[in-house]
Amino acid sequence: MSTATAKTTTITYDDKTVRQFMIFSIIWGVVGMLVGVICATQLSWWQMNGKFVEWITFGAVQSEGISYLTFGRLRPLHTNAVIFAFVGNMMFAGVYYSTQRLCKARTASDLLSKIHMWGWQLIIVSAAITLPAGLTRGKEYAELIWPINIAVALIWVIFAINFFWTLAKRNEPSLYVALWFYIATIVTVAMLYIVNHLSIPTSLTHSYPIFGGLQDALVQWWYGHNAVAFFLTTPILGIMYYFLPKAANRPVYSYRLSIIHFWSLVFIYIWAGPHHLLNTSLPRWLQMLGMLFSLMLWAPSWGGMLNGLLTLRGAWNKLRTDPVIKFFAAGITFYGMATFEGPLLSIRAVNQLSHYTDWTIGHVHSGALGWNGFMAAGMFYWLAPRLWKTKLWSTALANMHFWIGLVGILLYVASMWTAGVLQGLMLGQVAEGGTTLKYEFVETLQAIQIEYILRSFGGLLFLVGFILCGINIWKTARSGQPHDDTVEVAVPEATYDEMPLRKTFANDPFAYSILGILFLCLWFFLPPHGDKAALVISVLLSIKAVRAFQTNANKWNDWHERLLHNYLPFTLLVFIAVAIGGAVQIIPSLIVNREKNIEGRLQELYTPLELAGRDIYVSEGCYNCHSQMIRTLMPDVMRYGRAGVADDFSHLGESLFDHPFQWGSKRTGPDLSREGGDLADGATYMRIGKRDNVWHFNHFLNPRQTSVGSNMPSYPFLFESKTDFKSLPKKIAVQTQLGVPYPPMNQHEINDQARAQAREIADNLATAQVIVPGQEDLKGEELAKYLADRQVIALIAYMQKLGTYKMVEKDGPPKPQPLDPDTYREISEKGEAYRKGQTSAVNP
Amino acid sequence: MSDENSEQEVKRGDFARKKGEVVLREHEYDGIQEFDQKLPNWWLFTFYFAIVWFVVYWALYYHTGTYKTDQQKIIEQVTQLQEQKAAALATALESITDEALINEWATDPVVVSAGEAIYTTNCVACHSADLSGVMLVGDQKIPLPGLPLDDGEWKYGSKPLDLFKLINEGTPPDEPGHNGAKMTPWGQMLSPKQIAEVTAFLIAKNPDDFPAQQ
Repeated sequence: MSTATAKTTTITYDDKTVRQFMIFSIIWGVVGMLVGVICATQLSWWQMNGKFVEWITFGAVQSEGISYLTFGRLRPLHTNAVIFAFVGNMMFAGVYYSTQRLCKARTASDLLSKIHMWGWQLIIVSAAITLPAGLTRGKEYAELIWPINIAVALIWVIFAINFFWTLAKRNEPSLYVALWFYIATIVTVAMLYIVNHLSIPTSLTHSYPIFGGLQDALVQWWYGHNAVAFFLTTPILGIMYYFLPKAANRPVYSYRLSIIHFWSLVFIYIWAGPHHLLNTSLPRWLQMLGMLFSLMLWAPSWGGMLNGLLTLRGAWNKLRTDPVIKFFAAGITFYGMATFEGPLLSIRAVNQLSHYTDWTIGHVHSGALGWNGFMAAGMFYWLAPRLWKTKLWSTALANMHFWIGLVGILLYVASMWTAGVLQGLMLGQVAEGGTTLKYEFVETLQAIQIEYILRSFGGLLFLVGFILCGINIWKTARSGQPHDDTVEVAVPEATYDEMPLRKTFANDPFAYSILGILFLCLWFFLPPHGDKAALVISVLLSIKAVRAFQTNANKWNDWHERLLHNYLPFTLLVFIAVAIGGAVQIIPSLIVNREKNIEGRLQELYTPLELAGRDIYVSEGCYNCHSQMIRTLMPDVMRYGRAGVADDFSHLGESLFDHPFQWGSKRTGPDLSREGGDLADGATYMRIGKRDNVWHFNHFLNPRQTSVGSNMPSYPFLFESKTDFKSLPKKIAVQTQLGVPYPPMNQHEINDQARAQAREIADNLATAQVIVPGQEDLKGEELAKYLADRQVIALIAYMQKLGTYKMVEKDGPPKPQPLDPDTYREISEKGEAYRKGQTSAVNP
Repeated sequence: MSDENSEQEVKRGDFARKKGEVVLREHEYDGIQEFDQKLPNWWLFTFYFAIVWFVVYWALYYHTGTYKTDQQKIIEQVTQLQEQKAAALATALESITDEALINEWATDPVVVSAGEAIYTTNCVACHSADLSGVMLVGDQKIPLPGLPLDDGEWKYGSKPLDLFKLINEGTPPDEPGHNGAKMTPWGQMLSPKQIAEVTAFLIAKNPDDFPAQQ
């Protein structure tokens, strides 16, 4: 930089960081996919949860199940490794490489790049240690414990500083579309990650999220869905916009399509989160927004696909010869397929069948393997020869990778579609006579065993292909020398980064957008009639905006062009676009859906021991296979609801105090929300729910004994490890801080109560003469004493409490709740009942 | 998709715009050029349609009340199912009597084997496959949660219809259960016919307790 003259300057790009990120992406990619294959086989063979170690060590290790290897702990490792380690590092490699070139400037700080690179790898290593150890927050893709959360946030901020600093130092006045997507990624991921990880620690390794129940569910899927959007999609779209035209040597198809699909994508994506919670006890208005915005998201997503595929016009001949183009073309096609499937699955009627089944798993893997995996491979094959100044070691091997990978994905996705649809249909199938269900849950699981095996094979093929990629890149690197590009760039004379805030906001496009959205939101929230007026105004505004655009197209265009010359105002507008959806959905729920407004079912508080049991449930990752949510659907209520209770779907009050919520997203096992029950006769604390203590005891020891054909891991270690009684006072203090209405208890009372309840359950089991493996001689008093300390007792206590509630009755006719559109609707119906003199509530 | 030959020659900037040709934008980014093609109409149409559907569907639900709430719908369905179930049970009980269960159901090998299949799927976890209520692990006998069904004792009534009722409705709510364990009401999962089949299977397994009746 010091050699700068008035006109040009010489720049050496920092490509070392790119090489490092790329190498780590490949290494973690292999690890993450390998863990994925292991997880897949665990669903076919329960022995893969630890028993297999007995065979490969020829009996040196004896175990029915090893805690570190159970599915519940490994599956989070797989998802985190693939998302944050594989795609994360790949994204950083692409962003660092392309941003420097699009800014014609070296990354602002080598030190920050180093901290970012090594800090991220440290985070991954700590995740790989803590997750199998059972240290988790119990929320999907947000499992990492709070000290690691802070590290992730810090490293992300360092990445952001480094990135925006580079933008500030750029020698290219205008921002290319790839950079728009990077900006959206950095800003949005920071917002999502921080909000969804807000929690209060109870120890160095454990914390409770500040949101509970449905609010936690809402925040979690606002995050979870948009992690897919802004971690797995937008950065990769940016990478596509840079590397695809480079590789194809063709101009991007349509600039205006870039503009339209970028802004619509980042604005709409955020709203679609609730589509993960369709037909649950989430308020209907949120479900409506989730579904309808998902449908509106289809076109913006396909805008990206079109701009990718149509850029290949005139370069399709390269598809035969260039593996890079092959991977990109297939990757973008999978993107198109997955973003068509997404809105489809978001339709409530389709979701009835697909949700909680393997269809969802197939959907995410067509995105993860097809879009992310293939875009990564394309980028690696394009980058490697340039980063090591050589040529690709073997094009034939890259082609082989492509075909093996493609067959792998197709096998994977097709088997998951079949499994999902088949299981979904079987679960809803009624028996002869139509009054009962035809299949037991376990029968539906056994029906998809072949698909499970095919899936493991498909995944294995993809992994093999990816290892070939690793070998190819390794050999390529060995055949060349690390090389950093040096270029002469012109120092721009034009002025940029000078746009005043007034100019950013005081103009037609911004005013129309904001006013339109404002009235749209008023339409959701205003009381009857006010809402329709707001809609009319919103529509009129839209018409006026279209007119204004037609007459002033150039002015609107100039404003956007100018925005592209000013990265801070641009970033600010992106932030506003992505912040609106979350704010409109989450804030009203935080205000409205609270204990004081609950009518009907309200959750019973956990006793200290039950809380300890719940933490074990979370720690073992039970939520990966079990839901706690009976949807408002016949197959769900018939299967999981109690006899004679007409409204036995899950009500939102039933999990209001659950930090974190455990509604689940996949049923490899049955729903558990009706497992709990009343106090046992004569007991002080002990409850007996749907099944008794002995059943649970036997089931945790060997699920196949109580449920023939089950693929659940055996949990022998829960019969050895001791319950953590000591941490309970602190945990209850934090729960109280979070708003859970615990009565005041001192630490002795908490401890005594927990131990008394544990002893009650242990006595009950000892009376039934259960046998603990390895402790076969224990009987009576000794057995009860041994058991009372063990984790299995706490977990049984939790199972017997799960889903219990008390009834809260409220007098008088229903009152409308501001910010809750559903109450306006209920008013008309419940109010009607009151006018007619029927004073009982129509709606539970 | 056109190949390179048929691709029309592209012009840059305003010149092309005025001529109505495909515009290749003036500016290049690190050698990357951009066309400025018009948005495909079918694409725009899907986008507009989704937006219109958003407004229409919301209005249908919240303004016209065309659709029922999820809660209304499911309660109606469940209530209807319960009525259907009660009717089915009443009809079934017309033909299922103590005599019929012993003389007809329990003597029909097809019925008994159907009952055994249901027993194997649903009952063995608590009552064991050999009806003893005890599980053998090595040489140790571990009691299971359920009562033994082969000891000649029928705690909640020894008539075939008592068994039927017990299976259908589960342990009576005011009973303490067996060591706290209460049987689930299987009527939730099994039809009256299936419950009768299981009952027939138990009768066939305990011929001494249920002597043939005239």
